[in-house]
Amino acid sequence: MAARTPDPAVDRIAARLRAPTAWLLAGLAALWMATVVRAPEDAVQGVIQKILYLHPPLAFAAYLGFALTAVGGALFLWRGDDAWDRLARSAAAVGVLFCTLMILTGPIWARGTWGRWWSWDLRLTITLLLWFAYLAYLLLRSFTEGSERAARFAAVYGIAGLAVIPLNYFAIELSGGRAMHPDNLAGDSLGAGMGLPFLLGVLTTLAAFAHLLVRRVEVEGLRARLAEQAEARRGADEEGRWAT
Amino acid sequence: MSVVLAILWKDLVTEWRSRDRVVAMAVFAFLVVLVLHFALPARDAAEARRLAPGLLWVAYVFAALLGLDRAFALELENDALAGLALAPADRGFVFLGKAAANLVILGAVQAATAVVFALAFGVDLGAIAGRLAAVVALGSIGLCAVGTLFGAIAVRTRYREVMLPLLLLPLLVPVLLGAVDATAGLLETGTLRWRAVQLLVVTDGVFGIVSFLGFEYVLDE
Repeated sequence: MAARTPDPAVDRIAARLRAPTAWLLAGLAALWMATVVRAPEDAVQGVIQKILYLHPPLAFAAYLGFALTAVGGALFLWRGDDAWDRLARSAAAVGVLFCTLMILTGPIWARGTWGRWWSWDLRLTITLLLWFAYLAYLLLRSFTEGSERAARFAAVYGIAGLAVIPLNYFAIELSGGRAMHPDNLAGDSLGAGMGLPFLLGVLTTLAAFAHLLVRRVEVEGLRARLAEQAEARRGADEEGRWAT
Repeated sequence: MSVVLAILWKDLVTEWRSRDRVVAMAVFAFLVVLVLHFALPARDAAEARRLAPGLLWVAYVFAALLGLDRAFALELENDALAGLALAPADRGFVFLGKAAANLVILGAVQAATAVVFALAFGVDLGAIAGRLAAVVALGSIGLCAVGTLFGAIAVRTRYREVMLPLLLLPLLVPVLLGAVDATAGLLETGTLRWRAVQLLVVTDGVFGIVSFLGFEYVLDE
């Protein structure tokens, strides 16, 4: 299966989304910061509770990144279109960034609330494994020669990685992973005045994710085009040499 | 089906003629067991039984990593991999043949390692041999399924010896948890823990399907 000439649809959408996502991000970030500063301090946890407005949203963005990696990979395998691979690659890189930030912000909160940096909790363990799996994904890409081959290998690995998340959840739960991590937020689990900053936190983080993703897709598109031009120039040079 | 058997037969005959992979894996696994014995000496029989399931599977996984890496390295000689890719058969069946050969070779190494392990740690594995073999087989099916898929990927990357464990270990957790849990149940009470067996069966199913379908895209040339 040979990769076809890049279909610019994904790149075109990315270019069109660059400015709107940047404006959206700037506006939301300002609003979010204002609401976070004004949000009431938690009676039990104190100021450290405000990490809540950042940490879970980072997790949502990271999971979205990994889901997009698998979807982009699957579409690449199905359609053979480089643009989908660029989406998968970009989503993995941005997903790892958000996942790293999430893994860094969690322990700050845990230290303040649980009294220790880390616990081998169900969700923490799976997230750490996920982070390692996608680091391996990025390493696989950089250690594979030939862009088409790297794209195929990475697509297969990205899909396998996503398939293992529910298995891991099931596995660690069965083996008695203690659930120290707070549960998902229910409708009324947030204190008065905390809902808005949390909602804005989610929207801002998703806007940041979207903006970084479209920029990354653009960069990958430009790289692909450069590589194509270099290839064409090399071909022309060769022909010139034969002609003289 | 004949493709699966042909590839299985080819790999086993190749292995039988040289026997270098199975010997290397076994010696490596024995050394891992001995190193573990010195690194984590068990003070009494109860502690040995507590440590045994995890340590036994560590030795198995290390041996498997070594063997899975060789499975496709062999095919690189004389460009046999291109031949496999061009074979007029569904590549999923090529995968099944290779995975089955890996499973047989790993199984032989595991049986020998279990004997050495029982001696080194003073654990009586003989009494539960049959059920232990079933658990080990269930764990190894999942291990060999993704291991064969990632082995085919890793063999064509730079740093392929490092690449295989990097790819495999983060995704191997459900297999390891299920297998260690089931082995611990056998050692403690002599009975199979159905929860662990269920986990292994589900994992084998998922890994088998993903690898069977994914292998199509892993062979090229």
